[in-house]
Amino acid sequence: MTSYSNGGFFNPAYHDSETLEVDRRSSRKTHQHTNPYARSEGADGHYSTGQISSDDALRRMPWGQEESWRGRESIPMGLISTRPRSPSWQHDINHSTFQIPPEPQYDRSPSVRLPSTTSGNMTMRWRGISMRRMSLFPNGDPNQVALTEDAIRDEMENEEQNLVKELVALSTRDRIRAIRDLSMSFDEKKQIRSQVLAFKSAKKSRQFTCFADCSENMSLSFRRFGYGIRSARQTLELWQGIMKEIGGTFGTSVLSYFVFLKWLLMFNIFSFLVNFGFITIPQLVNDPWPDIPPNVNFRGLEILTGAGYFNNTIMYYGGYSNQTLGGLVEYNMQLAYFFTIAVYMVMCGIALIFSMASSFKTNYVLADPTSSSAWQLLCSWDFNITNEKAVRQRKNNLRVQLKESMSEKAQRERLTLSESLKHFGIYLGSWLLSSGLAIGSGASIYYLCQFEQQRATDAANWSLLQEAETLLVPIVVSLINLVVPLFYSLFNKFEQYSNHRNQIYALVVRNVLLKMSILAVLCYNWMNVVAIKFACWESMVGQSLYRLVIIDFLFLMFGSFFGEFLSNVIGTRLFPRLGVPEFDVARNVIELIYAQTLAWIGIYFSPLLPAIQILKFFILFYLKKVSLTQNCQPPRRSGRAAQMQTIFIALLFFPFFVGALSIVAYTAWSLTPSEQCGPFRGLNSTFSVIGVWMEDLEEISHSQWVVWIYQNVIRSEIFYFLISLIILVMMYIFWQVTQGRKLLIRVLRQQIVNEGKDKSFLLERLQNLQKSHPDKRSIPKNQKKHSKRRPDDHSSGGQSTSNAMVQALLARQQLEEERLSTGGVPVPSDISTSNALIQAMKARQRAEDQEREEQYIPAYYESPINTSSSVTQAMQARQRAVVEGTDDARDLNSSVSSVMMQVMQARQRAEEEDMPQWVPAPPKNQTPAGSSALIQAMLARQQAQNEYDDGY
Amino acid sequence: MGNKQTIFTAQQLDAYQDCTYFTRKEILRLFDRYRDLAPQLVPLDYTCQPDVKLPYELIGSMPELKDNPFRQRIAEVFSEDGEGNMTLEDFLDMFSVLSEMAPRDLKAYYAFKIYDFNNDDFLCKSDLEKTLNKLTRNELTEDEVRMVCEKVIDEADLDNDGRLSLEDFQHMIVRAPDFLSTFHIRI
Repeated sequence: MTSYSNGGFFNPAYHDSETLEVDRRSSRKTHQHTNPYARSEGADGHYSTGQISSDDALRRMPWGQEESWRGRESIPMGLISTRPRSPSWQHDINHSTFQIPPEPQYDRSPSVRLPSTTSGNMTMRWRGISMRRMSLFPNGDPNQVALTEDAIRDEMENEEQNLVKELVALSTRDRIRAIRDLSMSFDEKKQIRSQVLAFKSAKKSRQFTCFADCSENMSLSFRRFGYGIRSARQTLELWQGIMKEIGGTFGTSVLSYFVFLKWLLMFNIFSFLVNFGFITIPQLVNDPWPDIPPNVNFRGLEILTGAGYFNNTIMYYGGYSNQTLGGLVEYNMQLAYFFTIAVYMVMCGIALIFSMASSFKTNYVLADPTSSSAWQLLCSWDFNITNEKAVRQRKNNLRVQLKESMSEKAQRERLTLSESLKHFGIYLGSWLLSSGLAIGSGASIYYLCQFEQQRATDAANWSLLQEAETLLVPIVVSLINLVVPLFYSLFNKFEQYSNHRNQIYALVVRNVLLKMSILAVLCYNWMNVVAIKFACWESMVGQSLYRLVIIDFLFLMFGSFFGEFLSNVIGTRLFPRLGVPEFDVARNVIELIYAQTLAWIGIYFSPLLPAIQILKFFILFYLKKVSLTQNCQPPRRSGRAAQMQTIFIALLFFPFFVGALSIVAYTAWSLTPSEQCGPFRGLNSTFSVIGVWMEDLEEISHSQWVVWIYQNVIRSEIFYFLISLIILVMMYIFWQVTQGRKLLIRVLRQQIVNEGKDKSFLLERLQNLQKSHPDKRSIPKNQKKHSKRRPDDHSSGGQSTSNAMVQALLARQQLEEERLSTGGVPVPSDISTSNALIQAMKARQRAEDQEREEQYIPAYYESPINTSSSVTQAMQARQRAVVEGTDDARDLNSSVSSVMMQVMQARQRAEEEDMPQWVPAPPKNQTPAGSSALIQAMLARQQAQNEYDDGY
Repeated sequence: MGNKQTIFTAQQLDAYQDCTYFTRKEILRLFDRYRDLAPQLVPLDYTCQPDVKLPYELIGSMPELKDNPFRQRIAEVFSEDGEGNMTLEDFLDMFSVLSEMAPRDLKAYYAFKIYDFNNDDFLCKSDLEKTLNKLTRNELTEDEVRMVCEKVIDEADLDNDGRLSLEDFQHMIVRAPDFLSTFHIRI
């Protein structure tokens, strides 16, 4: 068991308590053991409870039920306590102080009780609670905390019961979640669950049984149904195995690209379903065959250009009619087209805003850039990685990174003025150069578009050459998209950013600028040139977007060929200095974002573009996967992948989605739809379809409210004015709240620091007090040190070994304690104690031997009999030691016992003072008042100690 | 369907699903993985709750754990006996905590236990040194190791007691967003 290999302040008495387990539920209130500052004398008190419990165990033996949960280890205890003289008079005194009430209460205890295995499994929660308690004792002497053990156990059971009660009160769903989130071992979770279920059914059985049964069955079947759906959804989950493989070899940061790709794919599937369902299917039902002019044939080039044969199909805006389709229900194509696109865009926006906001919250606001080494050491290891080579490389990288981070600070200080000027110059130069490249490529595309528009004619049937000419612009655009980012990466090599993150940000910003300028030029061309020149201009824009999407896909393939395969060949064959390339997540993600933006812009002009996009992303996934595994090595730096992902989502939202949305909105609002084709032919603008609809609705009597909403909400300035005012006010309030929270955080942080200081001050004080009486306590201290070292030596042993050992050790310790109390008594007692000591040691030896034997015989590996017999032997040894020790103690005069009484009372007082602070307040937030009470308690104890020592 | 269902009773499956983040299918898959480690030891019928434990050597040889520098600690922390020998339930529990669905606090709790080599409920310098050596293949000099550990404690120790408590650790984890995705083993 993990907790037994203790680091020095785990009290051996814990193990004792497991064997001498008593039902503390009945005695909880009478125990006063909560004082964590109890010191060596506490051991006596503790022992007395041990004795009592053994007696109780004996008395309660007839009830076999209790036996079952107290666990097998209590059996030997019962056997031992059949010895008639076991409790000594000295212990009786303690008995009167720490009285345990008689057992009748015990029998009335509720049906929820700790199952027998609990004692073995409790370690987690034990540790959870003891952790909080023990944190007050950084160098704690085990005996200092002897008495807290009872309190801990009480609290533990209390907590467990409270937990069960809390869980019972929750709804089924919350309860399951709460159970899953418990930080316990599986067995404990299962027990808690069964307790809760038992509790629930007991409660229910008092109600109408039939109804209870029915509802229970219903909820069970609902839950199973829910699990079934979850299972089914997991089956549909795409690419699980591939994701695992990529994560295993390349780590989370590269995996994030694929996760992003998959996310975009889902976006497109959704948009395809919406468009196909609400626009295309009604159109197909109404008019299954597109009216293609007779002289247009399918020539094959259409797949690349999207022109010609495709021009009049449902692929583009022009292929849709403006009729109200008859049939069972009237279906207005104009409204359907408008609302589908609008609702889709709004939903995309909402989804993006939500994912961006939550991602910002977890990854940026909470993230702390200062704790880089702590993060590198404790949080950066990627448990995903399962590839041996990757593990090796990652270890190497981490080492390099740690070294760098250590030398980074020194470097920064050494930077002179000229060096920083040089750096500044390089930054300026590369920024100018990269912005120049972006603007230049924008300008070149502008002129290219003008050139193309002059040559293009508004004819239905182009020659093959004319059709091929249309591919010029998309190819140039894609070429720029492919080549210029490579230049950017080159610049990035020359600039020496001190921070890897800044380097990536710079790269990202440049790439975004480039893509933005290209898209801006293209959109300007579509809105201002194409819209005037062509009769069915929406379809022409749709065609260009189609071409861009397709050619972009081809160039992405080239890109991974040139970007990764070629540099792999160069890196391995020609210039081994360059090495195998890494997968550039930032560049690849921006390519994806660009591709998605094209699809968003195109949604109005070409409703089926998402279908092409789905195909593209699907193939791209496999392509990138193959390229990655064949050509790339795991990234050398483990950047903060989660933050990068947030940035990517933000980028996807802010310039790109917002840009696409505004272009679509501008088209719908201000541009005149073409007169010969498309659903909105004959209207001034796309949006005026709403006005027409409202006019229709006015005639229908029971839909007046829609018209009212349209006129008083949608079209009224005052409404938007009010809304913006309210939003501004709310923003101001939230901003103020944020400021307040910031202040609060500062104060709380200061408080943590102060409490740390308080703690160290108190500990210092305590140590000083202990030092002020060094001579009187020197003997027990030495002995304790001696006995303390033992468990550490054998910490690696199994639980039962350490149990038996601890028994023996405790026996010895108590003997020593008693030898101290019989200080003046002559030689014979010494002999008897050492006798007992030898016996105890022997018992321990025996127990250990047996344990070792057990370990070698697998068949008896878990045999309870062996364990308990060794425990029994240890217990007997201890019992004997106790008896012999007390024989000596009897020779003492009564003054000692009266001193003892005084001591106990003093401690009682101290503890009573201490109690109020301890019980209600969780140990974490000790108030200053509590600590002053603590000091008082310690002083009182010190005084008691002095009295005790003066008694001799 | 028929064959699979005899491994567990419906109640057992319910209990497993309620206590882990797995669905029925995943539980059965994990059972298969568990059984594949030692087909002769693990029976195909779990309805009578057989007392089977796989030794650490087998658990540690899983491809998911084989190359993990912390594999032994993971097995120790999640096994009931603390020595890495796992029952099926320990096994499920382990992968449940390491799954995608587990909340941050739970993951942080177990990560803390994994890094806490001497089980004293604090990450002290010796724990950090061990972690560091496991992560860097003992290739840092002693000075560097000391420096890194000091820096870590300096950065993450809120109450200035010279070591990291669970609270300190959790506080650090909250501000390390990558942790959720990296403390994750796909099955």
